[in-house]
Amino acid sequence: MKYEYTVETEDLAKYYTMGPAIVKALDGIDLRVRRGEYLSVMGPSGSGKTTLFNMIGGLDRPTRGRVYIDEVDIAKLDAYELAWLRCRKIGYIFQTFNLIPVLTAIENVMLPMIFAGVPREERIKKATELLQRVGLGDRLYHKPGELSGGQQQRVAIARALANDPAIILADEPTANLDMKTGLEIIGVMRELNQEKGVTVITATHDLKMIDVSDRIVYLRDGKVERIETRREIAIETEEI
Amino acid sequence: MSAAPSLEIGKITLPFGEAFRIAMEDIRRRFIRMMITAASVILAVGFMDALLVLTAVGSAMGGQAASLKPFQLWILFISLLVCVVGIMNSMLIAVAERTREIGTWKCLGALDRHVLLLFLIEAMLIGLVGGIAGWFIGIITGLIYSFQPNVGIAGVTEALTSPSVIALPGLSFLPSIVSMLLLSLLIAISLSMIGTLYPAYRAAKLNPAEALRYEV
Ligand SMILES: Nc1ncnc2c1ncn2[C@@H]1O[C@H](COP(=O)(O)OP(=O)(O)OP(=O)(O)O)[C@@H](O)[C@H]1O
Ligand SMILES: [Mg+2]
Repeated sequence: MKYEYTVETEDLAKYYTMGPAIVKALDGIDLRVRRGEYLSVMGPSGSGKTTLFNMIGGLDRPTRGRVYIDEVDIAKLDAYELAWLRCRKIGYIFQTFNLIPVLTAIENVMLPMIFAGVPREERIKKATELLQRVGLGDRLYHKPGELSGGQQQRVAIARALANDPAIILADEPTANLDMKTGLEIIGVMRELNQEKGVTVITATHDLKMIDVSDRIVYLRDGKVERIETRREIAIETEEI
Repeated sequence: MSAAPSLEIGKITLPFGEAFRIAMEDIRRRFIRMMITAASVILAVGFMDALLVLTAVGSAMGGQAASLKPFQLWILFISLLVCVVGIMNSMLIAVAERTREIGTWKCLGALDRHVLLLFLIEAMLIGLVGGIAGWFIGIITGLIYSFQPNVGIAGVTEALTSPSVIALPGLSFLPSIVSMLLLSLLIAISLSMIGTLYPAYRAAKLNPAEALRYEV
């Protein structure tokens, strides 16, 4: 049987020209991510993690190469289709949480559903469920400024899941959190990954991520240095 | 990749009601700054209305329709221009400050026109508030300056309530004071929209990756 890949990149490259110099932020990345996989991208600062995240997430156009999401070449999508892809297929989680400051937790989670045209009743029901799922059932009407970093990141996770995306892209989701909170966030992401079968791709410096990842991609200077498979560990934990 | 499958692209929407509510929240949160932006509208419109009241009272005494002198029109034009520049300046700052937020909006599915819509609704509301306040202040100021012993309350009342002194095309049956309100709103909202259009357009066009990288 053929594997089904949620994300596939082919010779993906992104160069930035800074005056006379060319920065090769990504330089020929070939990556295949299976449906339901939890993939960590590690690498030193400047190795291209965020750039890769932007390319896969349809947030920027590559200099060369292709990105396929569910076998669709996203370079062929127009602005409207890309917005739809970002809204429905991908959930984003950021290092800085990036909640909309003027909206409450539940409104933040409902926002992607507004864009997707989900009726109001259903939006409220689903957003409430998601926030309860990430442990914030008692913080529905708090604004981001009234929540701790860890709580804000939980809201962001709930928001990322609002439209049942195929992929969650998380760029250093634990970098602004303390050790314990970071572990909790990683735990929630891993649980949701297994519960909902959503593919998780996360860029990280955080060694705590290694334990939960199915595979770890090491980037260096825009290239894949090596890939470590942790399938043995993943299968073990599933059996327990 | 052998086959070329395609996504079933559905609809992306931002209903006006939702956009309006979010714009209101934004204004509430940045209230003081919004009021400073509105102040430039208030000053420009207030100046216009004060001039109109002065001429209205003057011409009611002389018994003809009010009209501004060329140099008054010129000063008025300059003051409106200054107002647009002021609004554009503060909206450029507002947009810069919210660059990352705009990037986030786009990640959640916002189209360029949704970002534009949000900023324009805010502009409209600022124009609305500025227009009403400017009208009020302008009339008061105009009255204070036009008050002379020989005019009297009756003369002033006559000038402001009679329909013919200051009339809008097609709406000449309205009392002058109402015509002035409509004119003030029209000008205030237009100024605010014009001043916001360029910053909002720039915000809407931002590439999400760049917007997310932006450091304030
Ligand atoms: N918009 C840009 N313009 C110019 N150079 C850029 C731009 N974005 C990224 N770069 C460069 O590309 C390289 C990769 O950057 P990237 O942000 O992807 O690294 P990273 O692995 O995410 O680093 P960190 O761990 O610090 O977040 C860096 O050398 C960076 O300076
Ligand atoms: Mg990064």
